[in-house]
This record gives sequence, structure tokens and C-alpha cells, in this order.
Amino acid sequence: MRNTVGTDEGRATKGATEAGRAMKARDAAIAGALAGFAGGAAFAGTLTIQGQLATVASIVHTDNVVAGLAVHMVIATILGVGFGLLISRQRARAGETVFWGLIYGAFWWFLGPQTLLPLVLGKPVAWDLASAQALLPSLMGHLLYGAVAGIAFVVLQQDTDPLWRNPSRGMVLRGLIAGLAVGLVLGLPWEGLLAGAGYALIASPESTGPALVRGTVYGFAWWVFAALTVEPLLFTVTLDWSQQAAARDAHLMPAYVLLGAGIAVGYTWLGLIAKVLFTDDIRLVRTEAAGKRGLRALGYGALSGLAGGLVFTVVMVAVGEFPLVAQMIGSHSAVAGFVVHMVIAQILGISYAILFRRRSFDLTSGIGWGLSYGFFWWTLGNLTLLPLFTGAPVDWSAAGIAAGFPSLVGHLAYGAALGAVYHRLERRANPWWQTRSKVVAEQTVARRDQIRGAAPAMWVFTVLIALIIPILVGTAP
Amino acid sequence: MEQLGWGAVAGLAAALPVGVLMATQHMASAQEMSPAGWLAFAAYAVVVGLVLIAVARGSRQGLAMTASAGVLLGTLGWLVFSLTLEPLFHGQLPTWSAAAAAKTYPELVGNVLHGALTGLLLHFVAGVWTLKLREKRDPVERARIVVVGGGFAGVAAAQRFERLVLRGAKLDVTLVSDSNFLLFTPMLAEVASGALEPAHISAPIRSAAAHTTFHHGRVDRVDPAGREVVLESGETLPYDHLVLAVGSVPHTFDLPGIAEHSFPLKNLADAVALRNHALRLLEAADRETDPRTRRELLTFVVAGAGFAGTEMIAELFDLVHGVSHYYPGVQPSEPRFVLVHAGDRILPELGPELAAYAMERLAARGIEHRLNLRVTEAAEDLVRLDNDELIPTRTFVWTAGNKPTPLLGSLTTDTSLRVEGFEHVWAVGDCARIPTVDGGFHPPTAQHALRQGVTVADNVAAFVAGRAPVEFRFRTIGVLVALGHRTAAAEIRGRRFAGLVAWLLWRGIYLSKLPGVEKKIRVLFDWTLDLVFPRDIVVTAAAPRRSKVRVR
Repeated sequence: MRNTVGTDEGRATKGATEAGRAMKARDAAIAGALAGFAGGAAFAGTLTIQGQLATVASIVHTDNVVAGLAVHMVIATILGVGFGLLISRQRARAGETVFWGLIYGAFWWFLGPQTLLPLVLGKPVAWDLASAQALLPSLMGHLLYGAVAGIAFVVLQQDTDPLWRNPSRGMVLRGLIAGLAVGLVLGLPWEGLLAGAGYALIASPESTGPALVRGTVYGFAWWVFAALTVEPLLFTVTLDWSQQAAARDAHLMPAYVLLGAGIAVGYTWLGLIAKVLFTDDIRLVRTEAAGKRGLRALGYGALSGLAGGLVFTVVMVAVGEFPLVAQMIGSHSAVAGFVVHMVIAQILGISYAILFRRRSFDLTSGIGWGLSYGFFWWTLGNLTLLPLFTGAPVDWSAAGIAAGFPSLVGHLAYGAALGAVYHRLERRANPWWQTRSKVVAEQTVARRDQIRGAAPAMWVFTVLIALIIPILVGTAP
Repeated sequence: MEQLGWGAVAGLAAALPVGVLMATQHMASAQEMSPAGWLAFAAYAVVVGLVLIAVARGSRQGLAMTASAGVLLGTLGWLVFSLTLEPLFHGQLPTWSAAAAAKTYPELVGNVLHGALTGLLLHFVAGVWTLKLREKRDPVERARIVVVGGGFAGVAAAQRFERLVLRGAKLDVTLVSDSNFLLFTPMLAEVASGALEPAHISAPIRSAAAHTTFHHGRVDRVDPAGREVVLESGETLPYDHLVLAVGSVPHTFDLPGIAEHSFPLKNLADAVALRNHALRLLEAADRETDPRTRRELLTFVVAGAGFAGTEMIAELFDLVHGVSHYYPGVQPSEPRFVLVHAGDRILPELGPELAAYAMERLAARGIEHRLNLRVTEAAEDLVRLDNDELIPTRTFVWTAGNKPTPLLGSLTTDTSLRVEGFEHVWAVGDCARIPTVDGGFHPPTAQHALRQGVTVADNVAAFVAGRAPVEFRFRTIGVLVALGHRTAAAEIRGRRFAGLVAWLLWRGIYLSKLPGVEKKIRVLFDWTLDLVFPRDIVVTAAAPRRSKVRVR
């Protein structure tokens, strides 16, 4: 009996979605085209300032600037259609589409200027570092294109999107407070205020862990926006996105990443405090108490941290960093360094369990959150806290970042192992797919939200940031 | 298997354009262009394809998700292969430096592109595959298991079933119980004496067995022929296998007055009622002038000197003397405690030496005992023993007899816990007579019930899967009995403990066995507060209408 009902319902729902999707696909294509046009216009603006439109025109074998602009806008609009179709099934909110736009732009940087453009022009395709460094301005432009297209897409859809809501005054205030506080610590008060207010626009009702990753990506985008774009435009009226310029400003990148992450965490926690203090409806306050299974989750976190720490150990041994870590407790022995390293790995594992509990629904999401978390801790731990604790000066310059690259590899490996192992452990103890209809329903909704949200885009973008680092700081062989 | 094959195919297919591009655009070294180099690249592609399909197995995650997974895997692949394995292969230690990353940058781009392409392909391949699978697959038949009883055995069985379902057993488990919590009976006496809060020694079944369907209700009857359980509400639950863990009820042997005038000690309500009753008696005794009534009010009799009875009399002693300073009208010498036992020594489960020790400890406090005697009759204000001794008392606790909860008659099982005479019915815990392999019967204790619950779940799952059930084998690990304030006796694996050491053992072991971290912490708090504050004398329930305390 139940089965038949289920099938009928399923068929009905499926029919409805098919219809909805067919209609939506056309709308999405149109909205995408318009969004692509907007993004293209922004990108074209920067190309004009840099005098690069002639290069684009070379696709149609002229060096006419107007022709270049036309070609550029056509390509941008066509790519926009693809973007619209791709994210039409994602949750169309500013916070989500911006991230999808960013990786869409980055993806086309790899595929366009680095691969297809040389092929079309009959030049050799070169994926080497030197050409990537030469194309860095183009990457920035592509990121700008993606971000603007993502925002424009939402603006175009907001009338029809039930999920869209303008940020309330309280949310902006939260962002401002968080931004000012973190900005003061990092010495970027004005940028903090602006970034904080902006975060209210892209924030999503989520727990601290995902917010942290969102903030990390957001912070990097702000580095590109503020340090590489607005400041030179304001103060020197030039727009230099070259590798040399980016390397000069590399010392600001960790600061902006930490700023973004800090704003996200602060914003989320302020929201939690406000919820606890001012919400009188318990249904809105919490769905589940932390105790009981939470304690077990902590144990799993410690265990996963141990696993990740062992993977990281390989890198540490090869690079010989244990004595440096040992300095944190005033020792120089590698054994002490190993112990400190494993203890930190466990503590981070526990914090991962607190932040990302029940957020990894499959291995992909486990690895995704883990990688992102690993990247964050490279910025905060390796680049910032380790020098502070060992009494060395904090070196965020390009050279310092380059020196920390092996550790970045280790952190990424650590994060991936941590996330994967934690997911396996949690899967054992927290079988959300089992009976108990309510649990299943809740989890499915959360999962769908996550997949339709920007989580995968944020993981990929975090990894992308990690990959951009050799471009920024590396010297071509 | 077929799915993994598709993963490999997708990995290889994606590798083709990437490899060709890299080869034709002079981005690969001569060594990489050799057959061995191509082979290595193909192997890498297959591995990425396999891992990706394993990660994205079964579910259609959506294009964005699978492609993202591909990019992430491509990056990890670059870290593992280009940055780590390749230097190792060439006999160098990997450095993971920025310079090394710069050198292998083309491979990074290739790997990321390859990952994304593999993800794209897999999305469509996996989509087709899932559709095909859906047509082929019939809805899974799950064996319906009904567990009756929410005590140690029932909940242990349900938890074990959950574990088995996780491992792939096709079971649908329902637990029926008339209380919605698992009562930790070893601490019941402490609740009766007010040392612990009632809710702190009980764990909600819904949280202890979170993935089992729970029915709060009383079972009216079981129909083994029709294979269904009928609840008192009229609801019926059909089953393929029935696990009975219904526990026991007090057995009064139809002696006159005992059922009406005794306090049982089986559940939380009994314990709370006993505590309230004792405190009410103290209140009454405080202003009572008639010596005979005072004697009735201040005499406490416990029949049965097993674990429950012995711990109860010791706890009652602690309660009364612990709060007597609140009652200036009650002289410390007045309260009288009597333990009646039919055997020739108390605590038959314990060795004779420890039993003697326990008796000596109790006697030293002035707790009287009547050995080789039975209670033959009870009235509102007295208890008669079979030597015709009359003990005037208003508090008579009965722990001298238990019988299985009557549901299917007497439940005798075979050694693998199947009830004799019934098909597909299993029984565990206090309600069942479970033979040991050497011919005796397992005692009705919590440690046995817990293990029986686990074994019965394994056996039912084995039976459903067509395998043979195993015999239940378990030897008592040890016994512990608390004898009141800072004293206990214990025998663990043949080693004997007494006094403070045994008391600490008792608390430590039972605390660790208490289900749920939250309750452990709460009980620990209760115990800690008990060290610095006197026991509470709040009477939490109104006097029952037919009170044993006569109101003048």
C-alpha cells in the first residue's frame, strides 16, 4: 500500500519538477546570458584600463579595439548562458552563486586563455608556470567576471526566487561588528568594516564550520578586490594585476584570508548569541543538544586528527620541520616535535568534529570540508601562529609563503585524510539513512541544501587558492 | 563491480584528450612519452576513475558535485603522484617545495582538467547506471523483528540490531515497552534512599536505541500462530521474529496480605514511593506519643536478602539515620531494621566468607536479621514470620520472590535462546530460563541480560540470513553488593574485595555501566553533592489515599 502511494507521489513530483525544470532552463539561459553580459562588461572595463582589448581582438585576426570588445562581450554572453544552465539547479542566492561564479571564471581561465585560445590561434598550448604567471591578470579578470555574473544572476532571479531575502539591519550590524573586531586585530579596520557589511549579503544560515570555509574564500576574493584592484585604482589610478604586483601584495593575502574567516566565524557566533538571548521560540534555537553523541563525535575527531597527523608526518619528516615545531615547547628534539605535532593534529581534529559534525554526507563532502579546513589552518597555523609561538617574525611575504609551501601540501593532505576518516567514523555511529523518518528527512534536506548551495564550489575554490600560490610566489624553472 | 568498471572507463576516456593535448603540445618529457610513461598515466587515470566512482557511488549527486569531486581528486592526485611518487620513483626524496610545484605545474593543470572531465563523464555514466539499476532492483524485503521489553536485554538487543543493520542485515526492528526508559536497576536502592535522582538512573529508549522504531505500550497477548503481538491499545504488530525480554514481576506465593501491604522494588515508581513513605513515617513519628505506634512507624522490614534486599536495608538505614537530625522527636536508638531471609545465610550469590562479612557489617550497625525464616503474612501494621514472631511495622519491602512476566507461559529456551515449543520466538533476560552448556541455568542478572541481548540479535540475524545460530556462553564476571555508607563486598573473577575498596569498585563499575554519558555525569554530580549536603527530605508525592500513616 505504502509502496504504491510512494510511487504515485514520486511520479507526480517528478512530473512537476520536469515541467519546472524545462521552464526554468529557458529562464536560466536568459538570466545567465544577461549575467554573463554584466560580468563581461566588468571584465571589459579592466581590459580597457590595462589596454588588453587588442589581444582579445586577435581571435578574429584584427587589432581593432572595438572588434575586440565585441568579441569579448559575445564570448562573455555565451559563457553566461552556460553558467545559467549549470547553476539553475543550485540554490540561487547571492552567497551561493558568487562562489559558483568564481570557480566558473577560474575554470574558463584554465580552459580559455591557457588552452583554447592558443589552439585557436595556432600557438603551442603551454601549461607551464611561466605562462600561467604571465596570464595572472587574465585570471583576476576571469574571477571578476565570475563574481559579477554570479551576483547579476541572483539580482535577475530575485523576484521569482522564494529563498531570496534582503539582509536585515541586524545582519549588516553583525557583519560590521565582526568585521571591525577582526579588522582591528589584523590592522585592516576599514577593509574589515566593508568586508563585514558585505559578508551579510553572502552569508547563509549555516554552522560555524561551513561559514569558516565560506569566509576563507570570501577573504581571498577580498584580497583580489581590495588589495590588488581598488587600492591601486584609488591611489595610483593604475590597474596592475601582473604577477610581480601580486607577489608584492602577497603579504596581504594571509591577512585577508584570516579577515574573511574571522568575519564569518564572528558573524555566525554573534548570530548564535543573538539567537540564544533574543529568541523566545525554542524551535528556532536548536535542533539537537550537543551532549551525548557530541562527546563521541569529539572522540572520532581526535581519532581522525591522529590519522591526518600521521599522513602529515611524512611531509614533516621529509622537510625536517619537527625541530621547528618542537621550539613551541622550548625543545629542539625531533621526537618532541613529533609529539607536539600529533597533539596539535588531534586538537584540530576535535575542532573539526565540533565545526563540521554532521556536515559530511558522503566522502566527497568529507574530503571537501577537510581540504578547506586544512588550507585555513595553513594560513592561521603555519603562516601565523607557528612563528608567533616559536618567537620568529611572522613572514607573510611571497618568500615566506613560498617557504611554507611544503607545509601547505602537508596541511592539504592532513585535511583530506581528516575529513575522509571522520566521515567514515561518523557514518558508523550516526547512520542517518536508517529508519526514523524524521532523522532521514532532516538530513536529506540538509544534504540537498548543501549540494544545491555553494559548498562544492567553496571546496574547489579553496583548493584553487592553494594552487594559485605557486603562480604567485614561484619562480619559473 | 560493473560500476567500478565504468569508473575506470571514464577515467581512461578523460585521460585521452588530456594526454593527447599534453603530448602534442610538447608539455611532456621524452621519458613521459615512452610507453612506460603512457602506461603510468593510464594507471593514474584508472585509479582516479575508480576512486571517484567509489566516492560518488550509487547516488546521483548532481553534476556540480561530481565535477567538484573530480577537481578535488585531481588535485590530490597531483599531490600524491607528481609531487610525491614521481620523485620517489626517480630515487629522490620529495620536497613539496614551491619550486617542485612550479616544475610540475603542467601536470597539475592536466590532473585538474582530467579530474573535472572524469567527473563530468561519470555524472552521465552513473546516471544511466542508476536508472538501469532501479529497473532491475526489487524493493528489499526486510524481516520484521519485534522486541518486547525495554530492560537491559531488550535494549541491548535493539542496539545490537542497529549495528547489524548498519552492516547490511535486512531487518526492520520495533521495540515495545511499557516504560519509555531503560532503568538501571542496580542503583534503584539508592533512589529509594534519596541519594540519587530518579531520572538520573534511567536512559530514554528513544535515545539509547535511536534508530529503532519505538512503541510505548503494554503487550496484551502474543499470538505465536498468527505471528503477531497485540498491544493493550488494540494495535497489532506482525512479526517474523519475536524477542521476548519482558523481565520479571514480584512473586508473593499468594501469601495473605503481602501483595497488598508490601512495597515491591522493581521500578522507578516503587523506589520513589518507598522513599516518600519512609520520610512520611519520620514526619509522623516526630510528633507521635504512643510508644506502640512509634515502634510501628520506625521499624523497617525487608524480606529477602539477595542483592536487592540487602542493598535496600542498608540504604534505608542510611536514609533514616542520615536525615534523623531534622527530626528531634526521633531518638537515634529508636529506628529498627530487620532483614528476613529464608536461607541460612544472606547473599547466597556471594561466597560464604563475603556473606559473613556483609552480615557482620550490617549487624554491627544494629540491623537485625532473621535467618531460616519466611514471612507468612503481612498486615497494615505488622508482619508475621513462620515462627509466629510478629514484627510491628508500617514498612515492609518484598524482594523475596520474582516470577517471569506472564505472557507466553513459562519461557524455557535452548542454548541458542530460542523458546522451546514456539517457532520464531526468542527469549532473553529475567523472563527466560536459559540453560548453560553444562546443564544449569543462567542467573537473572544484568550482566547476563546484556550479553543475552547481543547474542539473541546476532542469532536472529544469522537465522534470517540462513546461517546457524550460536550457543549463548557467558560466565559471571563478578558480583558486587553495596552495604550502605562506604562499604561493599565484591567478588570479581574469584578475587574478593570488601570495605572501602569494594565500595569504590561498586561505584566505579556501575557508573561505567550506566547507559549514556549524560546520566553518568548526572549521577557523578549526585554522588559528589551527597558528600557535602545532607539528603533531601522533600516528600514529592501526596500521601496515598489508603496511607499506612494514619492521620489522627
